[in-house]
Amino acid sequence: MSSNSTILYNNLKKEFNSQNPDLKKCGDYLAKLKIALSKMQLLLPEGDVKNTEELLIARDILEIGAYWSVRVKDIPSFERYIAQLNTYYTDYSSLLQPSQAMYPLTGLNLLRLLSQNRIAEFHTALENIEPEQLLESVYIKHPVHLEQYLMEGSYNKVWNSRNEVPAPEYLFFIDILMGTIRSEIASCSEKAYSYLPLADAATLLFFNNNTNELLNFASERGWSVSQAEMKIYFTTKDDDHVEIPSDSIIKQALHYARELEQIV
Amino acid sequence: MSVQDVEMDTVDEVVDAQKKAAEADALVLADLKQNFVLLERAVATFESRFITRVLRTAASIRKRLNAEILSQAIRDVYPRDAVDKRRLLKFLGKDSGVMDVDSDDTTKDNPQVLPEIDLYLHLLVMIYLLDKQDYYQGILLSNETIHKIQNLNRRTLDQLSARIYFYYARFYELTEKLAEIRPVLLAAQRTATLRHDNDSQATLLNLLLRNYFYYNLYDQADKLVSKTTFPDTAGNNQQARYMYYLGRIKAIQLDYTASHMHLNQAIRKAPQNTTTAGFQQAVYKLSIIVQLLMGDIPERSIFRQPVLKKPLVPYLHIVQAVRIGDLSTFQETLAKYGDVFRKDKTFTLILRLRHNVIKTGIRMISLSYSRISLRDICLKLHLDSEKDAEYIVAKAIRDGVIDAIIDHEKGFMKSKENVDIYSTNEPQSAFNARITFCLNLHNDSVKAMRFPLNAHRKELASAEALRERERELAKEIAENDMDDDDEVADF
Repeated sequence: MSSNSTILYNNLKKEFNSQNPDLKKCGDYLAKLKIALSKMQLLLPEGDVKNTEELLIARDILEIGAYWSVRVKDIPSFERYIAQLNTYYTDYSSLLQPSQAMYPLTGLNLLRLLSQNRIAEFHTALENIEPEQLLESVYIKHPVHLEQYLMEGSYNKVWNSRNEVPAPEYLFFIDILMGTIRSEIASCSEKAYSYLPLADAATLLFFNNNTNELLNFASERGWSVSQAEMKIYFTTKDDDHVEIPSDSIIKQALHYARELEQIV
Repeated sequence: MSVQDVEMDTVDEVVDAQKKAAEADALVLADLKQNFVLLERAVATFESRFITRVLRTAASIRKRLNAEILSQAIRDVYPRDAVDKRRLLKFLGKDSGVMDVDSDDTTKDNPQVLPEIDLYLHLLVMIYLLDKQDYYQGILLSNETIHKIQNLNRRTLDQLSARIYFYYARFYELTEKLAEIRPVLLAAQRTATLRHDNDSQATLLNLLLRNYFYYNLYDQADKLVSKTTFPDTAGNNQQARYMYYLGRIKAIQLDYTASHMHLNQAIRKAPQNTTTAGFQQAVYKLSIIVQLLMGDIPERSIFRQPVLKKPLVPYLHIVQAVRIGDLSTFQETLAKYGDVFRKDKTFTLILRLRHNVIKTGIRMISLSYSRISLRDICLKLHLDSEKDAEYIVAKAIRDGVIDAIIDHEKGFMKSKENVDIYSTNEPQSAFNARITFCLNLHNDSVKAMRFPLNAHRKELASAEALRERERELAKEIAENDMDDDDEVADF
């Protein structure tokens, strides 16, 4: 590792760990360091490398990068850093000391997948984690429980989990998640209730008695609000007439005829 | 006197046993010789059928194999100072130097050993080392053998090399060094695809998938599957394995319908005997969980099959908990058999069942009560708060689990009338699915039939002859007609 990049690395570390890090400056450092890393083939190392010290520093830089992306709310960049870190976490796990930041970052990544509603990838990523960590590590437990609450519909618990985040970075994704949850609850309510009093609707949708926001939300979803009764009516779309699916039946019958023709 | 008798008897017995052992050895040797002949014939006629036959005997030979027989066979086959011979004998722990002298004349007429026979012997020695649990020797030998295969490009080798790759990976798996051979397998897979070597291709794909699964790298496994095509002509065993792996990937990705389909295929393709018990158990375990996740209850008869009965006990308890919809029983079972599930790698899948248990519970409640307060639901399902219950019920309504409505102010859930399912299109689509399945089955079995080569020629020839005869007949008739005409004219 050249002396130049070592200085950069130290600067980045100092800046990022300071009380009020200048995120823009960190970004600049990161961009320069990434160029240096790719020159040394450490961005995506291959084969049997090299001295572990350099790998450790490279991993450290990438980890800072991942945290930095969350702070500046750049999700695609976060995704890239995680993909690069995966090489270090899995392929070089026998060479390197396990990183302190590994589980927090893995947890963050899980939360990101959850907030983007990429459930299949969420579960695939989950399989990579050792079962003991699933039950023990607070960083992993949090997104795992969130997913369970989401699946069974305990939205109340999801909302409350906001207060028990293991690291401040988690809040960023949880806030995104909240938007998803609210629309989930709304679509459930449409089906489950015929009408709802305004005040109750506000608590159900976590609007904390903010009527204006609720009214905006209601008009967005096309609910009819009756101001006199203070109630929201959900339009029930119960179409009673059943259409005969003639098109598909004809297609099926023709298909059978063709197949039978082949058999006989 | 009597003592002597006894002694005589035992001596006789020992001699007998020795004789029997010698006979058995001779039999195995004869079998091996027979196999060499078959291999030669396979090379001469380019007929892979003979190799299949050779490999089919592998299981029975494996049981009777010992170092004595193997070294004898090796000495018979190789010319006197072949390098391979020395090497193989060394792996068997036999000193080749002394033996050479006695057997030098038997090998005179064997100047060049066919690569097929050469590799077949390598394979046998590998199997022998595996049975002896001499894994490190096995790794050494398999590395050399793989190197040999890669330098050869012969279609008659395909099946043999597939087997050799299998044992190669097996040695590494038993020594827990699977990650090391991934690049080798990937390269071999690429070569096999380019050479249309279907047998190796299928085996290698499965080995790679198994390799990824060993380290829980489902992401990479999924990418491998999407980038490759599994050869249709691969043997049933490899297909069954592949289907199982696909089912696993799909189950992880929450695509339960596809997963269930693949697992069913795996169950059907796998041979139904006791030697494949391990595979059947693994597939059934996964299949049960996937069925539960889809909301189905697996058939009771699965749990009664003798091969499956014992290992499936934990799963039976899980099924029962889900069926009743009792969350606390479910948690108890999970705690009790957690280690088993973790070993089977089904633990994370079972954790997902929690909300299925709740769903079933809600469905049961909605069926039995026309109207029930949210508080009671909360108590019945052991939920934490009434508010949670309300959200859960609302979600169940939206997902179509139950048909009901919630009255928020009075805090109860009211079930709607059940719709008569026969007035909907549901039966028709179920019927359609079955018809499609049957038709596909028919088409597949037609495709799977084997026809003897050039058999239609014979038929063609006889058809030709038939036509010839017809023509003659027609000619005769025509002539007769003319005669008749003449006769008629005469009258």
